[in-house]
Amino acid sequence: MTSPMRVETDCHTLVIGCGNLLRADDGVGPVLIRHMWERGLPPGVRLADGGTAGMDVAFQMRGAQRVILIDACCSDSEPGTLFRVPGEELEDLPPLEGLHSHSFRWDHALAFARWLLKDEYPTDILVYLIEAGNLDPGMELTPPVEKTMHALIDTLLEELREGSG
Amino acid sequence: MAKTKSKELHISPLGRVEGDLDLRVTVDDGTVTDAFTTAGMFRGFEMILKGKDPQAGLIVTPRICGICGGSHLYKAVYALDTAWKTEVPPNGTRIRNIAQACETLQSIPRWFYAIFAIDLVNKNYAKAKGYDEAVRRFSPFVGTSYEPGVTLSGKPVEIYAIFGGQWPHSSFMIPGGVMCGPTLSDITRSIAILEYWKDEWLEKKWLGCSVDRWLENKTWNDILEWADENDSQRNSDCGFFIRYAQEIGLDKYGQGCGAFLATGTFLHPDHYTKPTIEGRNAALIARSGIWDGEGYHEFDQAKVREDHTHSFFKGKGALHPFEGRTEPLDPKDAAKENKYSWAKAPRYDVAGKGLIPLETGPLSRQVMAGQGNAKDYQDHDGLFSDAIKTVGPSVLVRVMARMHEAAKYYKLTRKWLDEVDLHDKFYIKPVEHDEGQGFGATEAARGALCDWIKIKDGKIENYQVVTPTAWNIGPQDGEKTHGPMEQAFIGTTIKDMEDPVELGHVARSYDSCLVCTVHAYDAKSGKQLTKFQVNNFC
Repeated sequence: MTSPMRVETDCHTLVIGCGNLLRADDGVGPVLIRHMWERGLPPGVRLADGGTAGMDVAFQMRGAQRVILIDACCSDSEPGTLFRVPGEELEDLPPLEGLHSHSFRWDHALAFARWLLKDEYPTDILVYLIEAGNLDPGMELTPPVEKTMHALIDTLLEELREGSG
Repeated sequence: MAKTKSKELHISPLGRVEGDLDLRVTVDDGTVTDAFTTAGMFRGFEMILKGKDPQAGLIVTPRICGICGGSHLYKAVYALDTAWKTEVPPNGTRIRNIAQACETLQSIPRWFYAIFAIDLVNKNYAKAKGYDEAVRRFSPFVGTSYEPGVTLSGKPVEIYAIFGGQWPHSSFMIPGGVMCGPTLSDITRSIAILEYWKDEWLEKKWLGCSVDRWLENKTWNDILEWADENDSQRNSDCGFFIRYAQEIGLDKYGQGCGAFLATGTFLHPDHYTKPTIEGRNAALIARSGIWDGEGYHEFDQAKVREDHTHSFFKGKGALHPFEGRTEPLDPKDAAKENKYSWAKAPRYDVAGKGLIPLETGPLSRQVMAGQGNAKDYQDHDGLFSDAIKTVGPSVLVRVMARMHEAAKYYKLTRKWLDEVDLHDKFYIKPVEHDEGQGFGATEAARGALCDWIKIKDGKIENYQVVTPTAWNIGPQDGEKTHGPMEQAFIGTTIKDMEDPVELGHVARSYDSCLVCTVHAYDAKSGKQLTKFQVNNFC
């Protein structure tokens, strides 16, 4: 029998989309995951809809060699702007004190994962953030965010296929 | 990538879930004399659902909360089952129950170590006898119990994911059953995970005894004696906590409104194959009910009201959720009418008492378990009805009710896993009626959670969700009666105004789904004394 401590989640790359589907552009992460699933994935790639359960994003990361995380952001930039978070920012994560089970952001999730997973914390992590235009209650993405999301999916799938080939 | 930029980011926190809670308390000579809870964000999902396909509730409501997604799904699917008059095979109900129970089983240790126990190492308790031991066990991230408690809390939802594909935002429960066809290895693996969690956390760390020994406790006094019965129990996290909690006075305050509501959960697989609103109470394993402070009443969804007199919505008064209206106002204008929260104030019509506020959550559920006349398949357990009658509600009693459920829900989950019949159906395709109304309810880890749906012309005409957080943290009603948590703060004595940890204990004992900021004001000068956040993850 498989040890219950280890769920069979080992994979080469895990793609996680975070955000709230009920707050318009904040839902871009989960929407992206859904689109990627429909388009089909190369072997060794696993998708996770992190939604708003930040702490569980960390649990999901167990067993993944490489993690790509997509979230919405609010930085007073042009809606739809895509950011790739620089590597040094991923080193300099927020302190564990002040984390909150109901308002996790991507950086909190990573900080928590680093504590939780210790030696198993993936070394190869990539974070993309898409600037939100509208965060009012609703389930539609605004056109600039939708456009950026599809462009990002194309790029990701291309990279993932090359990686698996 | 063409548009990729690299720059310093200043990202404001996105209010992701139900939003923040502001709590204002007035303190007079060290005692809280008044309290107001303000939910700071408009939820808006009822407006999103209006006019949508009836099944939209299965997608939308699990997203309301980042940690109760499975509970939202459970009640949303029963709202549709009752509206469409579906048939649900016993396996469908079993899998739904397993999923609901596993979500709560993960919440129990996670809440205790990551949210509640953090205050037990507050420096205000440095002189307590048990303080060094509390620090050793419960210090965030480094405590000897903190790490296994938080890490093992992830196990039960692995079982959820085996059936639901993912947790927490799954939509695998559908009218007529569940969308999965488990194999024998899925069941075997689930049992192995559940037993591992029970052995490693529940028995080894928390109880220091077998689940069956714990469940022999029938009165509050039994629990106190249990905690001193032998070294293993004395040195368990539970045994230590009971001793330490009494030393720092958690048995003395946080009483609340003293009246309780449970909508109950876990429908019996064989007694709810044709779900109806009327047939629900009799088919519940964990029973529903009302305790009004003196006696029990049967729960009837028709007697639930939401009062919005002090909420940022147009008009005032109390409406049944089928007639519920969600017409938001600008909070600035609404404040002129003494409105102060985005939460509505749920109330229940008790014969002879009118509309009263009721506490919901594990303590409420366990009080209802003490009702007489249980059917042979219903949970009958007098432990916490004894507690509220002998020692009365308090922070300690509320915590122990939550922890007690770990043992009970483990037993139930194991039983349902053993009973899944792999050769039988998990789903019966329903007729999707164009008209109808339905009610679905469950018990999320933090309390009663209900949906009311009205379907017209094949679309959602009205959808209302009443959350446990609303029951507990809701504002005053039209009679100016405070909500349950507001009442629980009033009367609390604060030893150190710079660090009022007592307010943290009370707020956390309700486990609301909100980030709660407490502002304490001096009653005489009106000056703000302190401001701090509770319910932080650490």
